[in-house]
Amino acid sequence: MTDALWSLIAFVLTLAVLSYAIGDNPLFRIAIYTFIGISAGYFAAILIDQVIIPRLITPLLSPSASVGLMAIPLLLSLLLLARLSRRLSFLGSLPMAFLVGVGAAVIINGALFGTLFTQVRAAGLPFTPAQSSPSGWLTGIVLLFGTMTTLVYFQFTGRREPGKGIVRSPWVEWMARIGQVFIAITLGAFFAGVILASLTVLIGRLDFILQSINTLAP
Amino acid sequence: MRSPVATAIAIGVGLIVLLSYLFPLPVLASIRMLFLDWAIILAAVAGLVAILNLFSVHWRKIGSPRERDYYSLFFILGFIFTAILGLLLGPTDERIRPLITSVQLPVEASLVGLLTITFVVSAVRLFALHRSWISGLFLASTIVFLLVGSGIFLTNDTSPVIKEVLTILNILPGAGARGILLGIALGSLLTGLRILLGMDRPYSE
Repeated sequence: MTDALWSLIAFVLTLAVLSYAIGDNPLFRIAIYTFIGISAGYFAAILIDQVIIPRLITPLLSPSASVGLMAIPLLLSLLLLARLSRRLSFLGSLPMAFLVGVGAAVIINGALFGTLFTQVRAAGLPFTPAQSSPSGWLTGIVLLFGTMTTLVYFQFTGRREPGKGIVRSPWVEWMARIGQVFIAITLGAFFAGVILASLTVLIGRLDFILQSINTLAP
Repeated sequence: MRSPVATAIAIGVGLIVLLSYLFPLPVLASIRMLFLDWAIILAAVAGLVAILNLFSVHWRKIGSPRERDYYSLFFILGFIFTAILGLLLGPTDERIRPLITSVQLPVEASLVGLLTITFVVSAVRLFALHRSWISGLFLASTIVFLLVGSGIFLTNDTSPVIKEVLTILNILPGAGARGILLGIALGSLLTGLRILLGMDRPYSE
């Protein structure tokens, strides 16, 4: 009985959301507002249950040496809660500064060691003696050329010329034009991937509607 | 208001964490772990502040005669019901699971399904409004990779020439993606450095 009720709720919500295809309507809005409310409530419960209680409250209540140390995140958390008040929101800038400082360092580390170095190394891999082959070289050259021209496209530095504004050198302009081709092809491929993925999900939903009608119909 | 204390905290903490990555000393590593632990707690509290702010906006919308929005009642009811249930039973409890499988999953999946229609309509509109060689190339690439992704060329009857062409075709987005990825990494690096040098202060009021 309970399962049937939950299936009915899922069926009604699916229909309500898909009804947006014919235009904005109250059913769609009710479904979306309910969904956001439930998601926010669930996310709040996860934050409290999985992070705040085990990482902040429990160490503070336990008789260990780290209690004094945990007073700092407790104080910063209380200051952060001051963001909810318009008058006291300035107090929240200290914990935000801490968060932004740590975040900036983590981002720099991730960008350097996670992306830049690894991608540059991967770009050179087809040219290493261990992996070199005629087709590998060709692939490597196309990849390297595409990567370079794509990066050149985002290079907007130029020389200011009277009457023409900022002008890039002719070879940068040509490289950027080729880079634009690579970007258009890449974004087209991404777009096709997203369409295919969302189409698969849509087919799944339509299949669910048909199955639900078969199950729920007397 | 630009607080020098906040700026000093951001720069100091950021530099310590960055140094701990560059110089793997045990002392720096333990300080980094401590700071990351605190940052996780603060990120959770920041998330909670954002959710409470969202709740207060909808609460105000119900009460305010000028901008009354009756749909906000559904938000409030959904929020209170799930938050109380989640805190009493725990968010991983079996009795909470139907809320995910019967509310969140169907709505999220249906929204993703709706994207199909939105994407196709916007692609057609893009080509109709901006008939340039670049939008044509974008559309052609989309159609080609839709065909490739659909798997119609994955049969045994496909000629070796087409298979070779497909291999070459698959390299092209890889090159662009690597360029875009490197661009994003360079941008992130620059943004992080600007924060650590105190040039950008997103935490200030």
